[in-house]
Amino acid sequence: MTGRWLRSLLRLLSLQASFTFERLQGIGFAVAEEPLLEPLRHDAGRAREARGRSAQYFNAHPFLAGIAVGAMAKAEVDGEPEERILRLRTALSGPLGALGDQLFWAGIVPAIMGVILIAGAVGYGLQALVVTVVGYNLCRVLVTAWGLRLGLTHGVAVAGELSRSPLRAIAGVAGILAAVVIGAAIPWVGHWLLAGAARARLFGFTLVGVAVVVGVATRSRPVPAPLVTMAAAAVVFLWRWSSG
Amino acid sequence: MIEQPFLALLVWGTIAGLDLASVLQGLLNRPLVAGGVAGAILGDPLSGLAIGGCLELFALDVLPVGSTRYPDYGAAAVAAVAFGAYQPQAQSLGLSVLLGLLLAQLGGVAVVVHRRVNALALGRFAERLDRGDPGIATRLHLIGISSDLVRSVALAGIGLAAARLLVLAPHLDPDTSQALSTVVVAGGVLAIVGGALRRAGTPRRMLWFGGGLAAGLLSLVLR
Repeated sequence: MTGRWLRSLLRLLSLQASFTFERLQGIGFAVAEEPLLEPLRHDAGRAREARGRSAQYFNAHPFLAGIAVGAMAKAEVDGEPEERILRLRTALSGPLGALGDQLFWAGIVPAIMGVILIAGAVGYGLQALVVTVVGYNLCRVLVTAWGLRLGLTHGVAVAGELSRSPLRAIAGVAGILAAVVIGAAIPWVGHWLLAGAARARLFGFTLVGVAVVVGVATRSRPVPAPLVTMAAAAVVFLWRWSSG
Repeated sequence: MIEQPFLALLVWGTIAGLDLASVLQGLLNRPLVAGGVAGAILGDPLSGLAIGGCLELFALDVLPVGSTRYPDYGAAAVAAVAFGAYQPQAQSLGLSVLLGLLLAQLGGVAVVVHRRVNALALGRFAERLDRGDPGIATRLHLIGISSDLVRSVALAGIGLAAARLLVLAPHLDPDTSQALSTVVVAGGVLAIVGGALRRAGTPRRMLWFGGGLAAGLLSLVLR
């Protein structure tokens, strides 16, 4: 089992390589589940049906998808009815996506980036970068491994186990941490990047104030900042060009 | 002019591109990380961190979820640093970050193309895949990885070529360079603040963000 589990884990690290707009992570899911379906190799019919089901539409957070892969594989090997297996797949997709997005994309990742930004502003950027990237990747692999094990252990009952896990609470804390760290990083980064500009401090404080007002006013209709920046840069070029 | 280790930057840009969605997603695609490492490769990590840091302000406004189209800042940051390294920050930050922003948008378009290639391959094998034929999913997956590898190499190569051309082009005068630097920092702050407020969602979390901002401002004033 360990060898098959390890192969599945390694394949989960590239879950989204075959992402399509039609099935999203479905093909990657099938590739990751394949080693876990080996116990069915003596029953060609069941193995074929399981493989066919495994490549259907699926979308979750890539780091937590192992929970569904493990649970589906156990359900297939245990001979659960097709309807139940497909229902499990659909039922896990949304919650695993929302939880993972909250935990990683809106929590841990911005918090880490905020820490590196502050460290960069005070001169320790490279050290912070190495430590946090190594730590994050360790955490990423451990979470995926834990999820795969959870799914394989509990099969169709994995949803209940997931709701008892501390992930939701951790996601809440990570979100707060991200909000605080990003908030603290903004003045430091402005100070760092505007170094050398005339009246940098006054400009920086004004900029943060304006950004907060604009941010609050455009919460429901976000400003496409990269496009606005490129347009403003084009104006600068035109202005400099026209003034000789 | 300092000779740049083109091959090392190309390899690093490619790794950063693959890390966006296809393989690992281990922060290597974040512009701050990609830029910092590119700076270290070039022997100028501080420029790498500053340029990557400014691009990170824009990247933090993006949630890379599901089938949404999002920019690819990894290889873009590598190319931006290849241009901006060994130049004074006020002189190079603006143009470097603008190059990075443009390349990131191009990378986003390339991601859509890569996914269409995956869809074409799926269309060809869908019947056999749904029938459960062995090895089909793996074949499609390998096509996906190869396609993203080509995308990442191409993006990094185009970016580094553009950086090289910009290095050879006549330099901007100091006032224009400074104005561009101010513009990109202002755009970045606008992006990160907007993104943080939207992501906060609840009023309680917005208060946490406000608390962090106040602490940051206070610590900067008292320093």
